[in-house]
Amino acid sequence: MNAKKWIASVAIAALSSTAMTAAAWAFQEAPMLTEMVEAGELPPVDERLPTSPTVVEAVEVGQYGGTWHRAYSGPGDRWGPTKLMEERVLKWTADADGNAVLQPGYIESYSVNEDSTEFTFTLLEGLKWSDGMPVTTEDVEFWYKDVFLNTEIVPNIDPTFAPGGKPLELEIKDERTFTIKFAQPYVYFLQILAKDSTGEPSLDRPSFLFPKHYLSQYNNNYASEEELAAAAAKYNVENWKGLWGSKGVLTAWWNNPELPVLTAWKIETPAPADVVTMVRNPYYYAVDQEGNQLPYIDRIEHRLYQDPETLNLMVAQGQIDMQGRGMNLDNYTFYKENEERGNYEVVPGRDSNVWSIVPNLTVKDEVLQELFQSADFRQAMSLSVDREAIIELTQSGLANAVAVAPVNGSPYHKDDLSSHWVDYDPDTADSLLDGLGLTERDGAGFRLRPDGQRLSVTIETSDQANAKTLELLSGMFADVGIELLPRVIDRTQWDNNRDNNDFQLQWMPFDRLTYVPADPRLMMGSQSYGTEYFKWYQTNGESGVEPPEGSAIREMYADWDKASQAVSLEEADAAVNEMIATFVDQGYVIGVYGEGVLVNIVSDRMNNFVPNLVQDDIFRGVGIARTQQFWLDQE
Amino acid sequence: MIAFIIRRALLAIPTLIFISFISFVIIQLPPGDYITAYAAELRHQGEYITEAQEAAMRAQYGLNDPMVIQYWRWISNIIFHGDFGYSLQWNAPVSSLIWDRLAITLAISTLSLVFTWIIAIPVGVYSATRQYSVLDYVFTVFGFLGKGVPDFLLALILMWVSFVYLNLNVGGLFSPQFQSAPWSVAKVIDLLQHIWIPLVVLATGGAAGLIRVMRANMLDELGKPYVETAYAQGLSEGRVVWGYPVRVALNPFISTVGWALPALFSGDIITAVVLNLPTTGPLLLQALKMQDMYLAGSFILVLSVFTVIGTLISDVLLAWFDPRIRYA
Repeated sequence: MNAKKWIASVAIAALSSTAMTAAAWAFQEAPMLTEMVEAGELPPVDERLPTSPTVVEAVEVGQYGGTWHRAYSGPGDRWGPTKLMEERVLKWTADADGNAVLQPGYIESYSVNEDSTEFTFTLLEGLKWSDGMPVTTEDVEFWYKDVFLNTEIVPNIDPTFAPGGKPLELEIKDERTFTIKFAQPYVYFLQILAKDSTGEPSLDRPSFLFPKHYLSQYNNNYASEEELAAAAAKYNVENWKGLWGSKGVLTAWWNNPELPVLTAWKIETPAPADVVTMVRNPYYYAVDQEGNQLPYIDRIEHRLYQDPETLNLMVAQGQIDMQGRGMNLDNYTFYKENEERGNYEVVPGRDSNVWSIVPNLTVKDEVLQELFQSADFRQAMSLSVDREAIIELTQSGLANAVAVAPVNGSPYHKDDLSSHWVDYDPDTADSLLDGLGLTERDGAGFRLRPDGQRLSVTIETSDQANAKTLELLSGMFADVGIELLPRVIDRTQWDNNRDNNDFQLQWMPFDRLTYVPADPRLMMGSQSYGTEYFKWYQTNGESGVEPPEGSAIREMYADWDKASQAVSLEEADAAVNEMIATFVDQGYVIGVYGEGVLVNIVSDRMNNFVPNLVQDDIFRGVGIARTQQFWLDQE
Repeated sequence: MIAFIIRRALLAIPTLIFISFISFVIIQLPPGDYITAYAAELRHQGEYITEAQEAAMRAQYGLNDPMVIQYWRWISNIIFHGDFGYSLQWNAPVSSLIWDRLAITLAISTLSLVFTWIIAIPVGVYSATRQYSVLDYVFTVFGFLGKGVPDFLLALILMWVSFVYLNLNVGGLFSPQFQSAPWSVAKVIDLLQHIWIPLVVLATGGAAGLIRVMRANMLDELGKPYVETAYAQGLSEGRVVWGYPVRVALNPFISTVGWALPALFSGDIITAVVLNLPTTGPLLLQALKMQDMYLAGSFILVLSVFTVIGTLISDVLLAWFDPRIRYA
């Protein structure tokens, strides 16, 4: 570098640091887009990007181009493709240590007032929809007035967006700035946005935004009845509401290639094609650290498969570039064996599920009910499980013996909570059961209940694949004198049994153990150990079963009430930690194994996928790995 | 003869109405409905929808209406507008889903039927004319094996063998690079590399059964006096066998044409699922599992129309063949 050039670059550096604009950056774009610019189909990249685009720090600056091959199992699997490209005002991303942190997306800044009732967001300057139209607060207002509050489209506002029964309110400040107001403090609103965005009725759900210039022609506040009927006929749906809704042919990005979006890719060939394709959005708002417009990858192809074995074959034949969805730990050996042949690598992710035994605290059998409600009995069940044996025999040794408690990587994780009651100690279990007065035994060595019947409990699973685990559990329970009867039943029946308070034990993957306050319902008993209690809590005592006086579950409800009305995050987190501690200490749900390995198939061509991230629903699965900075080796 | 055909055709109408209603009801008999199945599927993948969302979807799809009303909404659209309704799961018109896949299904099924007959008839005839010969025993062993091994298992074994030992791309009808490519010589070669597995699987299962039927029918015929007479007249074995007993032995095949038509349409469901074929079978299976009643109902309706037409054709053929049936 000669002196002149050096001076010039210093001058540029000085300019850029004072001007603070992106003009000093030379933005680069994908060759595919350069061609379109040269053909006059697109404006140049500087005009397409916001003035100061969001910078997504790529693990390693990548090459443009290529097609990412993966597979999908049909319309029910649309969340697979969706999670590759969800957009939020704030999104969970992994920091350098792999911990989840909230990162702003298409906003320039945000702020929260002192008592957490007002949240102000400023959109990026020059942000554009995928058709090149500007994104402004008019789109926010359209979302609020014509969609969110429109009872024709959203009949019921989810309580998440109406704490205390009062829906959130919107105030537009200027073209880019708006404020969301709540009637009561709502400390977890940002975290909830990162998971659920602003709810119904769209699949893709960019928070607070709907493309007004495109969708108003199909909205009942703008279009006449005849126009709506004509649109419904055109798109072959029964009435215009079929255009909207969570599976609406117009509003679901996955159905409608014309829908303007903010996401890194948009749909090109929608289902029900055998190969669904997505193509890059030329107006995507983010760049990498060197000013290359993201995403790196041109296209994503999702090939339809009908049987899990077919997916395994695709993997072994090297037809998958990166996919975790649909991969099963049972096939771990198969995946490893074929790594070389399929030119891929099995990259571990971290599972946030804990597979557990869920007792029904309100079971109809009164003797069992009394036993399940006793902490000693739950402890005895927990201590009689030889977790290491189960992990070795059913999980290829790739899971951990843990209690149902916030998992590693969660801000609420504590080691002593995760190891609560997980040691294998059948002797203590025996003496605990003796202490409960279950001393009589029958000829087969099983304990007798106070009413003289054999102490026998049924455990239900909805998946044949778990039968082996349950057989093992059955043997371990028999050692301490409890007869455990495994049942594999239909999934719908399995769900209904919880709704109808009609089960004794269920074997289920207990999840939502990462950012607990984003959805604490499962831990509070809903669809789990205390479904009836939770009904009672949720309906203020109108239905369900009242928890017994002095029951610890009442403390948990009180803690959550405290957390949801707290004015600061610290105060709320203290209450949430209390609630978690009570839940774990009581051992309401008996964790067996969890925090296992999630299988991600990553081809040798694919770069920038970070291993060992927690991939769960709250963190939006693979989304936490920031798919827009993935790249494929180019020839 | 014409009166016979008209009488038969008229009888088909109430049959179809009955079948369509019964199938519509049976699809919805299991507990829950499409929304329950949908929510369960989401839950299985770690996603959740709230009960309010479920209720809203039920209202939108009209799932709260009495079943008779739902049935009428569906069937009246088919009769008056030729509109098979909307698949809840795919959020697309049923017709756009069915007919696309039908062409491939018909092609595969017809090819495999032809293969079946090409294998079964000569082998059956040979086995009967050379009863208890070495080859007859060999064919018998293979016949029983073919009949005994489930199709899907054979499909899995063939896939495994071609994957591990032949290094072929298996599953589906095309390799990924050809799937969305326009037709070319390379694509046809690629198709041939894939299509032999489903053809072999479907043909062996069918042929094994047919060989046994053909052999038994032929043995019945070969001992009859007219065969003896033909031989006594000095006709060659080929002319005797192919000219007379084979024609009679084919008689039962005619009456089973009725079953062949719906089988052509549905394909072999499990085999198709295992082989990842883009045919109609897997779609029907999925629709039934998800209680997507408009898609599944339309499928079953089309299948029963095919069955009824097929039966009608066999009836007509038989009546034309055998006067005793025509006047019965």
